[in-house]
Amino acid sequence: MELRLGLALPTPNIIKGFDLDNHKPKETGGLGAWNKPSKRSFEQAFGNFKEECKAKTLLLWSGQPNEEEDHKDQTKTTFSTIDENDAEEVDQVMGWPPIKTWRKKIFRQQHRVGRTEYNRVADEENGGSVYVKVKMEGVAITRKIDIRLYHSYQTLTNSLITIFTKDRKCADDDHTRYTLTYQDKEGDWLIAGDIPWQSFIKNVQRLEIVKKWG
Amino acid sequence: MHKKMAFSFPDEVLEHVFSFIQSDKDRNSVSLVCKSWYEIERWCRRKVFVGNCYAVSPRMVIKRFPEFRSIELKGKPHFADFNLVPDGWGGYVFPWIVEMAGAVPWLEEIKLKRMVVTDESLELIAKSFKNFKVLILSSCEGFSTDGLAAIAASCKNLKELDLRDCEVDDLSGHWLSHFPDTYTSLVALNISCLGSDEVSLSALERLVGRCTSLKTLRLNRAVPLDKVANILRRAPQLVEFGTGTYAAELRPDVYSDFAGAFSSCKELKSLSGFWDVVPDYLPAIYPVCSKLTSLNLSYATIQSPELIKLVSHCPNLQRLLVLDYIEDSGLEALASSCKDLQELRVFPSDPFGVEPNVSLTEQGLVAVSSGCPKLQSVLYFCRRMSNEALVTVAKNCPNFTRFRLCIIEPRTADYLTLEPLDVGFGAIVQYCKDLQRLSLSGLLTDRVFEYIGTYAKKLEMLSVAFAGDSDLGLHHVLSGCESLRKLEIRDCPFGDKALLANAAKLETMRSLWMSSCAVSFGACKLLAQKMPRLNVEVIDERGPPDSRPESCSVDKLYIYRTVAGSRFDMPPFVWTMEDDPSLQLS
Repeated sequence: MELRLGLALPTPNIIKGFDLDNHKPKETGGLGAWNKPSKRSFEQAFGNFKEECKAKTLLLWSGQPNEEEDHKDQTKTTFSTIDENDAEEVDQVMGWPPIKTWRKKIFRQQHRVGRTEYNRVADEENGGSVYVKVKMEGVAITRKIDIRLYHSYQTLTNSLITIFTKDRKCADDDHTRYTLTYQDKEGDWLIAGDIPWQSFIKNVQRLEIVKKWG
Repeated sequence: MHKKMAFSFPDEVLEHVFSFIQSDKDRNSVSLVCKSWYEIERWCRRKVFVGNCYAVSPRMVIKRFPEFRSIELKGKPHFADFNLVPDGWGGYVFPWIVEMAGAVPWLEEIKLKRMVVTDESLELIAKSFKNFKVLILSSCEGFSTDGLAAIAASCKNLKELDLRDCEVDDLSGHWLSHFPDTYTSLVALNISCLGSDEVSLSALERLVGRCTSLKTLRLNRAVPLDKVANILRRAPQLVEFGTGTYAAELRPDVYSDFAGAFSSCKELKSLSGFWDVVPDYLPAIYPVCSKLTSLNLSYATIQSPELIKLVSHCPNLQRLLVLDYIEDSGLEALASSCKDLQELRVFPSDPFGVEPNVSLTEQGLVAVSSGCPKLQSVLYFCRRMSNEALVTVAKNCPNFTRFRLCIIEPRTADYLTLEPLDVGFGAIVQYCKDLQRLSLSGLLTDRVFEYIGTYAKKLEMLSVAFAGDSDLGLHHVLSGCESLRKLEIRDCPFGDKALLANAAKLETMRSLWMSSCAVSFGACKLLAQKMPRLNVEVIDERGPPDSRPESCSVDKLYIYRTVAGSRFDMPPFVWTMEDDPSLQLS
């Protein structure tokens, strides 16, 4: 068996295996055949699958099934619909981080008891780090940076250029223009650079680098 | 062939010699020397270890080792701990109990991990083994307090009942009262997993009072702090103790009662429990801290300053489990106070929070690695890491046997250089030559697997998630890691090529788990055809794999070697490959 050396295929959110052309849930003999009583409702899992199939048709991709490339647009792979016990964590990746179920229950209980949330302001006063997610359009990996490491928009953008140069596909090179946008405390997306740096680092929740239009 | 041997000891002598050999590996080696040694060994093996309950059948085990007294069985794959194995998958102990009930009436010990244990099984154990002494259930489920009542009522010689991390249907706290008044032989009791309802405190107190050999007692959360004093006073000989809830009204009389009871326990070496800690009650345990070797604070939501005070009272600590509230500063304190530390586990207090809620970083790990020369085993959850830190840790701790790092956000890069963490983990496997267990996390390319395949020659268990670029990564591991027994992989771009190219390797391992990877159904079928002594099980809740093209990836794959053939208890969502394409649906 020959193994191709070298080429690193950018396949981060890989193959959840959903092949839309052939995923027709068998209505007949499907659910009926699987009548074995099982604690965590097999039917329920299958039901969820049908839901996911509907959602997936909106993300049509034209490639052949199972091609190991270009999955970067199939971004919504972090979900956990199957485990009913983790209903609160719909946005989490299933089974991650790897913590035993009974430990998770304890965390949930503790959080409900109204433990103080992460206090951004206090941490800033103590010189603590403030992590912000940075996503670049066209790149599947979302990075995290400590905004406290930078002291100006210039240093921030320089750094981001360095980070994302490695991730960008070579096709889109220097001819493409990008704009740095951020989401503020109110949830609005704004173009970075409008407000003084100090206000910016207090406000910024997330960053996204988008392609300039026109 | 002549039976003339250079040394012809009578069997009894050999048997006596073999009785000093306890480890399974050594016993297995002994039995390979020659036929007569095989025979003698199999008749005198008293402890049997079955790492995968489906690798062999109970009858085969009993046939080969007719006189065993202790059996250890493991069922579900490790990733079942994180909900990756659907309910109903398997791991039932009942068939084993049935066979042993008839054939091994003198059985004394049963140790199970990740198995489904029903009340029926427990009742059968209680009925069948007159000299039953030890029941250890680790991460098991499927039984209720009714089953425990049966054990309590019938097992007159019971010494150990340990239900660590089990899921028990807590129907009634009165199962404890089923221990007859004449029963006094309890040495270890661990009921820490029992639910929030009643454990009959009076029954517990009476039990503890009459079992004067009791050395280990781990209570469940429901036991209030103010009742603990009564229990402790009845058992000053305890060596290992787990509190219930560690919260009570701040009243001087309650405090002094509790503190007084604690200080009367001069033998205490290990403490655990500490749910809902009220910090003002912590000083009550200071008097016993200097002798403590093991401390489990992984439920204690106390902050760094209190944790620092606590650990600085424990100079003899060898094992610490704690939440990340300890922060880097607490780990630095630990590094300077606890020079005997061998094992450290730091759990995340807010694993699903988007932003870090505590100041725990790679610095804490570096500090401990630098200050604790005996550190061997680490489980560390954090939110950032650097290659530099990992290299430092590796150089500081060449004696690591277990290193499990979990950077909470998948694919997090080195926060300083923004590069993958290949070099850092590479240093770990290069410097820690005795490494047996490794868990990876963070941004990793195929290169880290190249390092692992090259250097990790003693590695027995590897856990991989969200890592690698191609089949080459998997190929490096399967072809390079000579001692590999268990490999578990999730969300990696590993597919058919590496698996099929290394098919033979799989027979030298206990098991391989791959979920959300890129292995096609066609490859599974091919593998199963090529390797008849492997069970290739596809776990797929989307429906039969053959309703999709063969090139479609399977959802989850569990491959293990076996001499028992396909199992008979597969649920509808588990498929094995038979010789013909028709799949069994049952």
